[in-house]
Amino acid sequence: MISDLLFRLRAIFRRHSVEEELDNELRFHLNHEIEKLMRSGLSREEASRRARLALGGLDQVKEECRDARGVSILETAMQDIRHGMRGLWRNPGLAILATLTLSLGMAASTVVFSIFQATLLRPMPFRDADRLVEIWETRLDRGIDQASFTEANFWDLRAQNHSFEEVAAIHSFEANMTGAGPAEKVSGSAVTAGFFRTLGVSPILGRDFLYEEDRGGMDNRVVILGARFWRNKFNGNPEIIGKTLRLNDQVYTVVGVAPAGEPWLNEQMFMLFGYRPDADRGSWEFGVIGRLATGVSDDTARADLQQVAGAISQSFPNEAKGLGFRMGSSSQWGASNDTRRALWVLLGAVTFLLLIGCMNVANLLLARGTARQREIAVRSVLGASRARLARFVMMEALLLSGFGVALGLALAYGALRVMQSLEISGIPRLADASLNLWVLGFAAGTAALTGLLSGLAPALQGWGSGVAAALRESDRQKGSRGQGRLRAAMVTGEVALSFLLLVGAGLLIRSFGQLMKVNHGFQTENRLVFSVNMPEAYWKDGVGKQFMDRFFERLSAVPGVIAVGAVGNRPVEGGNPGMGIDSNSQTADRQSPWAGWRVVTPGYFRAVGLPVLRGRVFDENDKPVWAEQGQPAPARRVMISDRLAKRIFPNEDPVGKHVNLWKRQGDWDAEVIGVVGDSRERGLTSDPTLTVYLPYGRNALATEFVAHTSGNVHDLAPVVRSIVADLDPNLPVTDIRSFQEVVTRSVAPQRFNAILLGVFSGLAPLLATTGIYGVLSYSMSRRTSEIGLRMAVPIEYSIQPGRGGN
Amino acid sequence: MNMADERIELPQGTLDLLILKTIALGPQHGWAISERVQQMSSDALQVKQGSLYPALHRLERHGWIKARWSVTENNRKAKYYELTGSGRKQLENQTDSWRRLTAAVGRILDTA
Repeated sequence: MISDLLFRLRAIFRRHSVEEELDNELRFHLNHEIEKLMRSGLSREEASRRARLALGGLDQVKEECRDARGVSILETAMQDIRHGMRGLWRNPGLAILATLTLSLGMAASTVVFSIFQATLLRPMPFRDADRLVEIWETRLDRGIDQASFTEANFWDLRAQNHSFEEVAAIHSFEANMTGAGPAEKVSGSAVTAGFFRTLGVSPILGRDFLYEEDRGGMDNRVVILGARFWRNKFNGNPEIIGKTLRLNDQVYTVVGVAPAGEPWLNEQMFMLFGYRPDADRGSWEFGVIGRLATGVSDDTARADLQQVAGAISQSFPNEAKGLGFRMGSSSQWGASNDTRRALWVLLGAVTFLLLIGCMNVANLLLARGTARQREIAVRSVLGASRARLARFVMMEALLLSGFGVALGLALAYGALRVMQSLEISGIPRLADASLNLWVLGFAAGTAALTGLLSGLAPALQGWGSGVAAALRESDRQKGSRGQGRLRAAMVTGEVALSFLLLVGAGLLIRSFGQLMKVNHGFQTENRLVFSVNMPEAYWKDGVGKQFMDRFFERLSAVPGVIAVGAVGNRPVEGGNPGMGIDSNSQTADRQSPWAGWRVVTPGYFRAVGLPVLRGRVFDENDKPVWAEQGQPAPARRVMISDRLAKRIFPNEDPVGKHVNLWKRQGDWDAEVIGVVGDSRERGLTSDPTLTVYLPYGRNALATEFVAHTSGNVHDLAPVVRSIVADLDPNLPVTDIRSFQEVVTRSVAPQRFNAILLGVFSGLAPLLATTGIYGVLSYSMSRRTSEIGLRMAVPIEYSIQPGRGGN
Repeated sequence: MNMADERIELPQGTLDLLILKTIALGPQHGWAISERVQQMSSDALQVKQGSLYPALHRLERHGWIKARWSVTENNRKAKYYELTGSGRKQLENQTDSWRRLTAAVGRILDTA
């Protein structure tokens, strides 16, 4: 083994001396043979001739010796590369064309694969991620199969389960950070003490939340910063541990810095959310994750969850009626099923593109190979083996695909940069996509495969054709009929594949177009939306309402402003709090609909362009449905969306009727005073939602503002800022966008898909055309003499029926 | 050409055996090996000179023979091949299996 290796190494590194030795050895042999023959009386010339004849072709013997030494693979590969380069150089047009078509396919597939890899293949940054699960509440009796947790149910689950090493609840929060430069809105997660331990990560600095701190809801004012926020805002200063931050006018102590990572961890900060005995059991607000204990199977855990749910619903027959839990694998965290499907479709599309590229190169090489048949025949007569010649052609294909992948990677790098700078939302972890080792490996593998695929047919051509036939000096060399068919088949395949892509992309673009044309319900033109994040103090003593009313007054007075309003949750982008709702005359145990609820100002409907179909809009006398502290419950009035009205009051006029809000949780009675047109509150891809509108007031603020203007919406943004700053300089105005932009962003994944597939399918015919060009130009060049002949011979004699007679 | 027609072409794989046997007697260069094979077989076997050298290189790669440059009796530089330890073992093995093969084939031919 070792000696074999040394032998080979010597052969490689001392190639020249080895070659020299071989020369000397054979010369020595010839000399001896010649002398022997001359001794038998032959002339020197004759002896020399016979000696050479006896030995066989000198080059061939050498070649076989090299083969026998077993170094030929590497050595001839080098030689093949040199030859291949020379061959390509002789025909730079073809080389460039083939490289370009391949590099386009390569770039496309590399980009898609890098996203694919970042999204679906890269492991999550958590310990034993396969044991991580996400848990939801269900109310299957009401058709709700996935809902957030209520706080109390989470504490009960945490206390009563026997299957989880750790469970944690997550709630998003936003806060105004003051005292460090201008007021700034920060967002993050309020998490229970075991959150980081559930994920199996430890702070990179400072400490984790302690179990001793785990009490008193949000009263324990400790935060852990997100890694990115810490770097950007505090320059990664380790001194931050123990320092304090002012969030919503409360002092918080920084105790640690969390590692970066998707999902869950890339927040600006994490607040501790501690246990409290008086937790709410009515409002579904918390995301819950859990880590299965070692050795606990999914089924065991599910059974355990059901048992806990049963116990809770027995103890709280009203609030927790029909409670169940649902558990999902963490493998869904990376990407939703929609994203997965989209990525697979794109991966399929780029495979087609690559195949077309392969066939192109194969075709071009085939055509050229046929034209070079004489050269190949000569080479084979001179002692090159068939395998060697096939390798030679294969090497050209591999070189081409090598160039292709090099250029393709450069293109992919640029394309990825552009896509990342566009911050296309809806593609999870797009920012993480990079040309890492995985992707480079993929590209290298693809290049090798492409080279082999596209070199296969050309390398095998001429395998069967006779040398003598090819050598016969003739311009009418036929190629072979089989090769012609092969090329035709490949061109057909290319065109078919590119049409497949075109049709697919056409469908996708069309459905995207329809998505954009779908009736939103609300109007997006000339609307500006922005958030004003009001601190806790604004919710007391009517401070917030006073601010809002003064703000509306000031903004409405601005020339061009047609309507202003506000809503608790931004349409399309915002959250979706919901409630069970039904007619209060409904006593039967039917399934009550689940509707989203939104706190709105009276001006909201006009501002977003939602028509009031029946009844009236809220006015100053309509108070929030929640009672103010120390006040009796108000006369509750609500407005509902048209679809909801038809669900609870089929064939009746709902105006003046009464409904139960928070069905089975609060059962608050409320009067319906108006019906509003439907809207696609949850985005264009969702059905129009069932919505209940609740009036704003002293204890019910709406923080998402909408302004309808006759002028340019973006001119309004600075006006809004200055009015807010004038009213309260500590209030940040954030997320200022045109409503149109909000909608556009919400369909970014669909747009992304449509654009990418559109680009790919645009490339496909281009590539296919190149292939056809290759074949045609080849067959034309083959028929040059025939065409010349036809031109030279008078037209009457040519075999063109119909022409000859004229 | 006439002469060559009467000679027996070597069956596949026997060339290695003959080379090993030939140089077992002492180090030889390529030309001498081909001459020796023909002499010892009384010109009955034809060793294609063209296939001799690849075979030598192959055997060298296997480590059964080793080569060194030396000076001939006529004071010329030549590449001499000699048997290695494993080559000697290989020679014994191959000789043995060749004997058994020919004996077996012979028995069949005799009885038939």
